[in-house]
Amino acid sequence: MTARSLQSGASARERAATPSLWSRIWQNDAPGYLFLLPWLIGFLGLTIGPMITSLYLSFTDFDLLTSPDWVGANNYMRMFTNDPKFWASMRVTMFFVVFSVPLKLAFALAVAMLLNRGIKGLPMYRALFYLPSLLGASVAIAILWRQIFAGDGLVNKLLLVFGIEGPSWISNPKTSLWTLIILSIWQFGSPMIIFLAGLRQIPQDMYEAASLDGASKWRQFVKITLPLLTPVVFFNAIIQTIEAFKSFTPAFIISGGTGNPINSTLFYTLYLYQEAFGFFRMGYASALAWVLLALVGIFTAFSFLTSKYWVHYDE
Amino acid sequence: MTIRIDRRKFLMGSSALVAAGAAGVMPSWAQAASLRLTFWGGQARADRTYAVTDLYTAAKGTAIEGEFLAWNDYWPKLATQTAGGNAPDIIQMDYRYIVEYAKRNAIAPLDEFVGGVLDLSTFDQDQLDGGKVDGKLYGISLGANSVAMLVNTTAFEEAGVTPPTNDWTFDTLMEIGEAFKAANIRGGMKAIGDGSYSEPMLQNWLRQRGKDLYTADGKLAFDEADAIEWYTMWNKLRDAGVCVSAEDQAIDTGPLETTMLVLGKSAMLQSNSNQLVAFQTLVQDKLGMVGFPRVAAGVGGGHYRKPSMFFSVGGSSANKEAAADFLNFFISDPEAAKVLGVERGIPCLPSTREVVAPTLDEQSQVALNFVANLGDLLGALPPPPPASAGEIDASLIRTIGQEVGFGAKTPEEGARDLIAGANDILSRA
Repeated sequence: MTARSLQSGASARERAATPSLWSRIWQNDAPGYLFLLPWLIGFLGLTIGPMITSLYLSFTDFDLLTSPDWVGANNYMRMFTNDPKFWASMRVTMFFVVFSVPLKLAFALAVAMLLNRGIKGLPMYRALFYLPSLLGASVAIAILWRQIFAGDGLVNKLLLVFGIEGPSWISNPKTSLWTLIILSIWQFGSPMIIFLAGLRQIPQDMYEAASLDGASKWRQFVKITLPLLTPVVFFNAIIQTIEAFKSFTPAFIISGGTGNPINSTLFYTLYLYQEAFGFFRMGYASALAWVLLALVGIFTAFSFLTSKYWVHYDE
Repeated sequence: MTIRIDRRKFLMGSSALVAAGAAGVMPSWAQAASLRLTFWGGQARADRTYAVTDLYTAAKGTAIEGEFLAWNDYWPKLATQTAGGNAPDIIQMDYRYIVEYAKRNAIAPLDEFVGGVLDLSTFDQDQLDGGKVDGKLYGISLGANSVAMLVNTTAFEEAGVTPPTNDWTFDTLMEIGEAFKAANIRGGMKAIGDGSYSEPMLQNWLRQRGKDLYTADGKLAFDEADAIEWYTMWNKLRDAGVCVSAEDQAIDTGPLETTMLVLGKSAMLQSNSNQLVAFQTLVQDKLGMVGFPRVAAGVGGGHYRKPSMFFSVGGSSANKEAAADFLNFFISDPEAAKVLGVERGIPCLPSTREVVAPTLDEQSQVALNFVANLGDLLGALPPPPPASAGEIDASLIRTIGQEVGFGAKTPEEGARDLIAGANDILSRA
């Protein structure tokens, strides 16, 4: 195999005027693919392979113990016409995305602006503020959150100092989802770091010129900082939206995998998990996964399409 | 998740086996270097189980590699292993799943070993029958248990309320609840947890009314009128402050640590008789046990002696006879019996019961006496529930119970949605 390939490579060099397509690919790209190989094997074997399998399974009934039965588009039909839980989980996830992403970005930007004032010990603060993001998706933090927002948890003990008797936040259907949104906002570290880098890129002389012209701090923020930061906002918004759609661990831990009380924390991913590993409907769960992929794709495409109206690249 | 493979012991065990094999003293199946065992439960169960596997390895030479998970994580893992053709040799099985696993050959019939390595000649007949599917034996019951009401007797004493006896009714519950409210101990401890979305409690109540959750052919065995009455009754108990609030009850997400009894929010909790041991390790107060309340004085038949769990042998196991030999050891060896106690329920062999009885601590004694003296509370064993019973429990009984509890639905709306939803899930399976 190697010998023959080398040979064809050599003959291709001789007929340099009309090299065949394959030999050209071999000569130019082979080293590249060779270096890619470890990733490529993983990508094909662990990502593309399972994805294709899941696409097939999404058209079947499959309970793990017996072989899959082809049911056509039944799973998708049921989802959109006859599954209130699908819509309930969709509502919860949408609510979470719509509130957690903008709030998290606003908070991250505010902290980044605070840190961008040339204060001493910046690397330390940066690391400290980033810490929650490193811990964020972990089981330990979710358990900690459960304790903080429990009926006799930290939050209510603080409120009691002010004479307010708080509810049990995590077990009340009106507030349970908000505890998860706050948890998500608390993990503002990674967009903050990116905002900080973006803020550093803005030339200082613009602010100096604006100050000379008598522009207020707020005006400087609206007219200089925000427009020049839009590419970073755009990037952060897309990444965080995808993350929010995929969010699973906190809801799973805090509700004990149930999505309760009254399905108020039944994230789409949690419903998918329940269908797959709680009730062993792998086919239906696969269909749910593909609908989520399509949904995230549509959201991202929509962001890119509208970006030309509000994202300013300074070129 | 915890996997226990003690490498040194494993090596010692297997080399001892090779030596013994060379000497030609071991039966042929003992060539198996090790057996894999999987079960659900907590640390207390794991400690007891592993003590017995060590005894078995010492006695027979076969090493046993154990693994245990919490109930919720156990079934996904087992199904995945089974689908991958990688199921363990010995599988702890539940009454809820045994039919499904047996019909798909995921667990093996054990009849060929009965009378051989498996001696069941004196095994309790009802427990033996509980492990049969289509007349073939697929699971060995590890103990009998029954649903039971755990009673925090210390709290009752503190409140100056007389604890209930097996004769008590839902009216008695109302009186106890009022008394607890008046006593107002420990920051407003209630008499009982909210049982409105407890499947065993609903079933017990239905059975006392001559109905049940499911029929033998996997249909619903109760109707909307029953469900309306059920939800209305719990609303009354909740409004009167007899049971905990919906908000408090929602803290309970499954683990024993989150139950109202352990959190000290209620003095009683519906549970299973064998779980008294586990609950007692989590609370300081002394726990006792009575039957579930009766719907009216003198009405019984709600309880049944159910196999608390089985050991089954994996359908794809290459060491079925060795696994059956371990099962026999597990249920009959006197030393093993002393270690296991009644943690998995009341042993089903009379000889084992005799060994166990004098060694039991006070709590285990209570559980043993309770199951042995159910009297007129005891009814017939219901048929195994349909495959989707678990889903109906998790996504309907629990969720709708909460909706009614929080006032998002009236009992009528809740009952309607429960029946319609359950019928939909049953027809879909």
